[in-house]
Amino acid sequence: MRAISNPRVPRPRLGAGVGLRAPHYRDFLESRPPVDWVEVHSENYFGEGGYDRHVLERVRASYPLSLHGVGLGLGSVEGLDDRHLAKLKHLVDATEPALVSEHLCWGAAAGRHFNDLLPLAYTREALALVADRVARVQDVLGRHILVENLSTYLEFAASEMTEGEFIAELVRRTGCGVLLDVNNLFVNQINQGADALATMRAIPAGCVEEIHLAGHLVTEHCLIDHHGDRVADAVWRLYDAALERFGAVPSLIEWDTDIPELDVLLDEAAKARARMEVLHARAA
Amino acid sequence: MPALRELQHALGAAIDDAGLTASVASLFRGARDAAPARLAVYRGNVFGNSINALASVYPIVRKIVGTEFFEATAREYARAHPSTSGDLNKYGGALADFLAEFPPTRDLPYLPDVARMEWLAHRAYYAADSMPYDPSRLAGLPPERWTDLRPALSPACALLASHWPVARIWTVHQDDYSDAFDVDLDAGPDRVLVHRPRWKPEVRALAAGDYRFLASALEGANLGDALEAASAEDTGFDPAAALARWVEAGVIVDLAEPGEMRS
Repeated sequence: MRAISNPRVPRPRLGAGVGLRAPHYRDFLESRPPVDWVEVHSENYFGEGGYDRHVLERVRASYPLSLHGVGLGLGSVEGLDDRHLAKLKHLVDATEPALVSEHLCWGAAAGRHFNDLLPLAYTREALALVADRVARVQDVLGRHILVENLSTYLEFAASEMTEGEFIAELVRRTGCGVLLDVNNLFVNQINQGADALATMRAIPAGCVEEIHLAGHLVTEHCLIDHHGDRVADAVWRLYDAALERFGAVPSLIEWDTDIPELDVLLDEAAKARARMEVLHARAA
Repeated sequence: MPALRELQHALGAAIDDAGLTASVASLFRGARDAAPARLAVYRGNVFGNSINALASVYPIVRKIVGTEFFEATAREYARAHPSTSGDLNKYGGALADFLAEFPPTRDLPYLPDVARMEWLAHRAYYAADSMPYDPSRLAGLPPERWTDLRPALSPACALLASHWPVARIWTVHQDDYSDAFDVDLDAGPDRVLVHRPRWKPEVRALAAGDYRFLASALEGANLGDALEAASAEDTGFDPAAALARWVEAGVIVDLAEPGEMRS
């Protein structure tokens, strides 16, 4: 296999980043931790003012920023919330992020929001819906967005294609990019028997513009994507395969449950950076 | 093949009601006997996220009733008042009214007002920042025109009148509070201002005159009427001192001339 595929769009080499979370605000305000970029959950900064927005302004002055949405629900049949999209637009305009991403999921039905990332049936109907939504979001934001593959605990029998095929077609129809979550691929491989490498092969090489890495929880019934641990060895091996296929795209350490000292995240980010450098050295 | 809408309704209903598990199990791939545990993961995430959101808005209610009781109450609230926004920071505004009607908390009659106060503090936390009013602007106007000015409060400000001593309850439950933990529940009523001097919301007990003054300003009264209403209600109210106090505190952020665009 060729080491590096040419990216479709030229982009800055962002390197390895971490999710910016409130327990680490002080670290970022008082020093300049050695990360290449940071990502936040968009909704946590929907307030018009206050401390979170203040910290975000300070941090984005020193680091490239990625906005990662968890609440829009691109695949909710019953409507995309225009107020939610307007708030995202406001935040994007105010913070000029390098990357903007959303999940390939749904989250609301009959006016009730589950505030969770719920799985789609990968049907032609869903593809048409999500493609329309992605086009609309890109239109409103005036920019290209990335869509992230999902970790799931249940898979609809009605699916007519795999997640990889669904994503590839979504990219073809909308021109969106892909945020490839390698831990999610692994979780689905264990939970659903979805072949992680096959999913990667289904996704066109040039469209992955960001990679997520996180820890998962092993339970009796399935793996749970809890973002509460170091990246598992098997996930690092899949990450190497992702770098081979997609190139050294910006990679992020996510940690949302039992958040440790920042040093632990920096250590994980350094591991990702080292793996990217190995790839560069081999390509040189 | 079921339409996407039906699939989403079915999964959503089974997340909310474990009793529907068997009726939706065939919608999913894999062994049917795996579905209950997998659905339970989603149910745990959905209710866990709601409970965590409420715990973050209502730390004092949680301290008063204890973590275990709070989580059970939050779960009942989440069933009665599911989230209606993709932004969980918007969730939980009806907890005070829920607590007032919730039989297990009826013997804590002050709890709903504590929740009201915490919801106002939560909103203050995310409110727009504001610039303080520059008092020299007032000095530049002839005093006879002052009464027509319209005082504007910072977007983080809100008022609450309670039969209970909620300001004291707020104080003794702050994480950095270490003095005597005593609350005289008969010490009320309290009139309080919830505001955000910089980043952290604070609660301040108000005299009757100050409460009337700020409440009138929030209702859109001009300065003259607001000060007069306050003086009528509280003989100890000092209009000049009050105006200076609330400008200095960053609570009054504008004194707009009639016809001037409110900032």
